[in-house]
Amino acid sequence: MKNKIPDFVKTNQFGLLLLVIVFILLFTFTTDGFSSRFNIYALSRVVAIDIMIGLAMMVVILTGGLNLSLGALGVSAAMFGGWCMESMGIPISISIVLILIFGSFLGWINGYVTVKTGVHSFIVTLATMSIYFGFMTLLTEAEAFRKLPEAFTDFGSMKLFKKYISPLLLLSILTCFILYYLFKFTDLGRKLIAAGANPDAAELSGISVSRMFIYCHMLSGFLAAVAGIMLTARIGAAIPSMAGHLGFDWLLPAFLAPVIGGTLLSGGKVTVFGTMLGAILVTLINNGLYLIDVGEFWVRFFLGLILLFAVLLDRAREYFTSKNSIVS
Amino acid sequence: MSKNILELANVTKNFPGVKALDDANFRLKKGSIHALLGENGAGKSTMIKIITGVYKQDFGDLIINYNKKSFSSPNEANKSGISVVHQERNLIRRFSVGENLMLNNLPKNNLGLIDYDQVAEQSQKWLDIMDLDINPNTIVSELTVAKMQLCEIAKALSLESKILLLDEPTSSLSPQDTKNLFSLLKRLVKEQDVSIVFVSHKLEEVFEICDEVTVLRDGKNACESENIKNLDRQKLVKLMIGRDEQIIKSKENKNTLNENLLELININTDLGHKEISLSLKKGEILGLYGLVGAGRTELIKCLLGLDKIISGKLILNKEEIIIHSPQQALEKFKIGYISEDRKKEGLILMHDVLTNSGITVWSKLKKILYFLNNSIIYNHVDPYVKKLEVKTPSYKQLVSNLSGGNQQKISVAKWLASGTDILFIDEPTVGIDIKTKAYLHELIINLSKNGTSIILITSDMPEMIGLADRIITMKDFKVVGETVNNHNYDDMSASIMANIHE
Repeated sequence: MKNKIPDFVKTNQFGLLLLVIVFILLFTFTTDGFSSRFNIYALSRVVAIDIMIGLAMMVVILTGGLNLSLGALGVSAAMFGGWCMESMGIPISISIVLILIFGSFLGWINGYVTVKTGVHSFIVTLATMSIYFGFMTLLTEAEAFRKLPEAFTDFGSMKLFKKYISPLLLLSILTCFILYYLFKFTDLGRKLIAAGANPDAAELSGISVSRMFIYCHMLSGFLAAVAGIMLTARIGAAIPSMAGHLGFDWLLPAFLAPVIGGTLLSGGKVTVFGTMLGAILVTLINNGLYLIDVGEFWVRFFLGLILLFAVLLDRAREYFTSKNSIVS
Repeated sequence: MSKNILELANVTKNFPGVKALDDANFRLKKGSIHALLGENGAGKSTMIKIITGVYKQDFGDLIINYNKKSFSSPNEANKSGISVVHQERNLIRRFSVGENLMLNNLPKNNLGLIDYDQVAEQSQKWLDIMDLDINPNTIVSELTVAKMQLCEIAKALSLESKILLLDEPTSSLSPQDTKNLFSLLKRLVKEQDVSIVFVSHKLEEVFEICDEVTVLRDGKNACESENIKNLDRQKLVKLMIGRDEQIIKSKENKNTLNENLLELININTDLGHKEISLSLKKGEILGLYGLVGAGRTELIKCLLGLDKIISGKLILNKEEIIIHSPQQALEKFKIGYISEDRKKEGLILMHDVLTNSGITVWSKLKKILYFLNNSIIYNHVDPYVKKLEVKTPSYKQLVSNLSGGNQQKISVAKWLASGTDILFIDEPTVGIDIKTKAYLHELIINLSKNGTSIILITSDMPEMIGLADRIITMKDFKVVGETVNNHNYDDMSASIMANIHE
């Protein structure tokens, strides 16, 4: 007898989707205002950025590495953008292109140093985190850019779908589809994954692993810059401390989303929509706990607990993928 | 007769979808060397893992010294005097020999710190028993592969083991080291009261040192504790594969008139190769023979641009070339490399069959905007995967779930699919069962008949003499001899060994 269960049901993503629905129902019935138009709109603006930084971390985790400089990089790119638009008066569209190039360039530095020195990206990005943030603070003198063009900040406060959803969320979802396409349907995406899974085998199969790793870091810088732009648009200003000191505020959601989503920390596996769902789940829990009014400390406590749990899940995944081959 | 020290009675072990062992029996007599044979996937590993406490059988009994036992961990098996020496080295490379030997029971001084004099002294005892001329203070990574193997056995002995399981102990040893190992094993059995289970794919070795044989096929006993004197090679092979063995078909040497395709002239490398000169003709199989550590694989890696060539010329089709990376070798010069280490360098175990068999052709197959989907890859690689008769439930199967033979077929298939002119093939049949081995031999011969030029590295002398057109012998990163192969085993092996030992 063969049960016709669609493959999708057996995946990690499906479990996540169920969890997301459970939490939505839970918070809808236990809190006041969770399902209000105001809250949903606010959620969509937050989750959009969490998805983006989750993706930015995911593409480096793919290589078996980490990008701790994510927050510092994103804020640096955003401050660079503020300078372009406010101080230099460069048109918005050109500024955005410049920001993205700048973000990719900072990512390239991470990747280049990692590949050339052979030092783990954990150490490299720990250093560049400090360097990027330090430089940025030095150059901006810790001053914010608060007079950004209105057309730019308007985008951040725009409301779609009967004023429920921010366009920022659509941008993030679109990015997910583009990345999914990259990893699933292109030569380049396959090479990135293969290089992450087994660098030695990939190299001997004719893939330039160092180039692929640098691409991953550049993509991470690019996505972090996008997140920086989105955060600037949302706040309506580019503020040096908008991601916390050294960009720390981004790190927890950046790890949580891909790891909960099913991306292996040892590299070689990506789950774009898993990361998206992971980010949604984290934002939901965050938001719900605030609404229940448990206090800042407990929110952080729970998020930390979820991260630990997700890492355990990661170990279990690795264990089961390797234990499949018990017969030899 | 002597009594049974270890017995498996009617043991069955199920894995999801597979019956790995099906009512199998095994009896190890005290003081004997017992060969455990079977093709990949026949159930040998499962049996070893049950004996060593990694798995627990579903049905049947594990009996040691006529007592029923049930191990819940390898540690418990150790305590009952059972030790296993795996193919993979289990020594800690940065520790000394003494520390490794004494690791489970490090002697301590009054302050509770490790007493290194005692470590050296106690480990020396075991090294002496084995007649090993190694200083216990030597760091393991400085030893040769053969010595590491012997240290592992010493470690097993130091645990007071009376039952020793050796899993393909000779796969990385030279003929001379193998000989030494065997005389040691015989001595251990005689003097130390040790009983040995010996797993190997090399039947010559089985006949050389084993007393009894158990053959598994598809999880069942094809024969059980048979005296080796009642068997010969043909019978044994038939028991293992269920039919007669095909002997390597020697190839007619017809390529002598062809021009050189690839030529190395006085190549010196960063890794220490000295003045290497050799040439490869179109459609030729050029054998590179040598002991482990002769620098053969290292030479190939230098040619692929992974390590530096310091001086000398590399000529392809009469043009001098420089290869910077395997990518360039593949895409520009159509040169491929089938690695000896399929698990680490040949395959991406955590990815599926389709990914692994198509990885070399992605660049070639990509459409506009890098577009590449599964069906494009499938259409290209399917003929090769079919041709090699890879047994897999689907292309979505993870390669780690396939048997060793099928894994090797995939690491070959991806290079067939890439359509290279030159293939470097490194130890293609290590750890591969006889049936697949014969298949791969035929394939290599056919490839060369169809015009692919091949440099073949193998430490398996019969394989080398069966396949190669010419044999280059290497020693200490130098070429020490070149012989045209006349496919006569006795002539050729004598002249090759003469090259190595002169």
